[in-house]
Amino acid sequence: MNTSSTRLVALFALLAIAVVLPFAFDPRGYAIRILCLALLFAAMAQAWNIVAGLANQVSLGHAAFFGIGAYTSTLLLIHFGLSPWLGMIAGAVLGGLAALLISLPTMRLRGHYFALATLAFGEVMRVIANSWGGLTGGPVGISVPFAPPDLAMLQFKETRPYYWLMLAALVLVTTIFLAIKRSRLGYRLRAIKENADAAEVIGVDTTRTKIVAAVISGMITACLGTLYAQFQFFFDPDTVFGVASVSVRMAMIAIVGGIGTAAGPILGAFFVIPLEEFANQIFSAQAAGLSQLVFGLLLIAVILIEPRGFMAIGPRLKRLLAREKADG
Amino acid sequence: MPGTERKYGLGPTRRHALALTALGIASPFVLRDAVAQGKAINVGVIMPLSGANAQFGINSRNGVELVADEINAAGGIKSLGGARINLVVADSTSTPTTAANVAQRLLTQNDVVAILGAFASALTIAISEVTERRGVPLLTMSFSDQITGRGFENIFQVVAKASAIGKAQFDGTVAIAAAAGQKLDKIAIMYEDTAYGTSQAAGLRDGAKAAGVQIVMDEAYPLGITDVTPLINKLRASGAQAVFPVSYLNDSLQIIRAMRQQKIAIPAIGGAAGYVIPDFEKGLGEFSEGVLSISPANYDLAPELTERFRKRYGYFMVHEALEHAVCMDVLAQALEQAKSTKPDDLRKVLHGTRFEGGWTKAMTGGAVQFDKTGLNTLSVPVMVQWRNKELVTVWPSQVAKSKAIWAS
Repeated sequence: MNTSSTRLVALFALLAIAVVLPFAFDPRGYAIRILCLALLFAAMAQAWNIVAGLANQVSLGHAAFFGIGAYTSTLLLIHFGLSPWLGMIAGAVLGGLAALLISLPTMRLRGHYFALATLAFGEVMRVIANSWGGLTGGPVGISVPFAPPDLAMLQFKETRPYYWLMLAALVLVTTIFLAIKRSRLGYRLRAIKENADAAEVIGVDTTRTKIVAAVISGMITACLGTLYAQFQFFFDPDTVFGVASVSVRMAMIAIVGGIGTAAGPILGAFFVIPLEEFANQIFSAQAAGLSQLVFGLLLIAVILIEPRGFMAIGPRLKRLLAREKADG
Repeated sequence: MPGTERKYGLGPTRRHALALTALGIASPFVLRDAVAQGKAINVGVIMPLSGANAQFGINSRNGVELVADEINAAGGIKSLGGARINLVVADSTSTPTTAANVAQRLLTQNDVVAILGAFASALTIAISEVTERRGVPLLTMSFSDQITGRGFENIFQVVAKASAIGKAQFDGTVAIAAAAGQKLDKIAIMYEDTAYGTSQAAGLRDGAKAAGVQIVMDEAYPLGITDVTPLINKLRASGAQAVFPVSYLNDSLQIIRAMRQQKIAIPAIGGAAGYVIPDFEKGLGEFSEGVLSISPANYDLAPELTERFRKRYGYFMVHEALEHAVCMDVLAQALEQAKSTKPDDLRKVLHGTRFEGGWTKAMTGGAVQFDKTGLNTLSVPVMVQWRNKELVTVWPSQVAKSKAIWAS
């Protein structure tokens, strides 16, 4: 009881710091932009975590939902002047439908087969966006129309408001993740993760459970796609439906941080995104491609050192300390 | 990054080894950056130095570097007390998100007065969303129509637009064929499904429609295609008199090689990019001879300038290097005239001036002048042909260095 209330206080203190943090930076500067992206990717990895972390259904196709969200809100804004907030809801509905559609055939697949099927789905969406030029603008990409700064239109001149939006998104998604984890759905998902056959035997409708989780995850990811579009102002099919730029990155962040934990994606995002920028800043004026190489090598190193992510380091340290004590 | 700090505290030696290696790689660059200060004007150069477009990004960077070094050697920007040009080079990779990030970084941390870049249209557009909101000029040689089509005030495109280039690719071909006594009625278009491929194909299509020429094959294929045989079979069956492939390097090599190996001898008219770099000739050898291509500019129009590039880097001055060199020179001229490094002053000069002399002579118009949208109105694309490992300008006739050879 005592430790949990201390934890709660610490959590609120951390959140308070996060809320006032932007005042320490140039409101239109670089640092705050990177913070925004780190928050956004943390939220994305958290959404991915709902399916992959709890039920161990590792998806490599989440870019499909992300792109659907980005395109839906932007197209509605361009053609009907619809506020991106409403566009976001429309995107979430479509993202959820897409998740349902892809889940029906794939949720019976496990492990690598599931990962490959979702990977293909993401690619299919990219190809559709590329070839259906009349709707999406094709490979040329689309720009979010320039609008005066306005919360209703989800567009600001400074980066600070985006920061708070992204922070709110991360808090919301993390809350949803925790709520699911503690709910009946969460227990069912974990039963599936431990042993799907055993779960089925004791009466868990495994397919249905996985589909519900996938739809929630897909809807959230689509909402985040809208946020991305409004933040970046321009995107093309390769960016929002990209395997490397979205799907794998979401998975990588959650894995580096600690898959299945609430803090994992957050730690992962605040490690991976700044690291990539840092590598770029230091090395990109040198030999061409060096920055990406260094970034990749560092990631490999992290996974080699701790394959279960940062969240596994704490317990490991505790064990180490305990052993040392016992030895001494 | 609390996670990393904890991690490095207590680990086995492998971690220390890795950390030390990273530190070892980083330290000389960090130190060098710290020393290289002084009176200088920072100019941002954002290029794809890794990923699919790395080769083009490196060429572009070389072009900018050459001109900046020349300007500095000649005493810097004189109206600003001989201030040196200090290039801040950043890798956009091949993702627009990263391109926008590095743009923001250069603007806020390096106080760059302007940005040059970033070859690929998607990257340039992503950067422009940042520069426009900060009111800092962005000079580019990306083709896409979208670049100057959004009413932005801070973007400057030194080359003709993709649609104009696509149309010229068609018109030039018709003119060359007519000069050789052939009337074109059937053509084939194949293009990669990227921003560059699709917008240029659209220009080609418009040109063909306007001229009443039948398009017997119109195929998009994915970037990084591994087997072009189906495309080539379709081309053979189509009965086209000429083919217009629009692609980056690897696809262009495959397409031309497959065509020539299957003895399809109809003229191929490439869409710049992969068709006009030394690697094209290196990869194809004799198969490259006689291949035509459109190009926004060509080095043989101003050898007195472009030979300096060849001397320094060991290959001819590819068009993206040339156009980026022009971007750098135009910016230097604008700085000289504005007598200021303020973005507002620079923008005014860039919009209201006809830039002549220096590297602008290498452009087809012989000068550079931007209209209200930021498009250089003087630039006209040229048609080039591979002759003995070099690119020779063959169209339009007023700038041509040689007559085109039609059919191989």
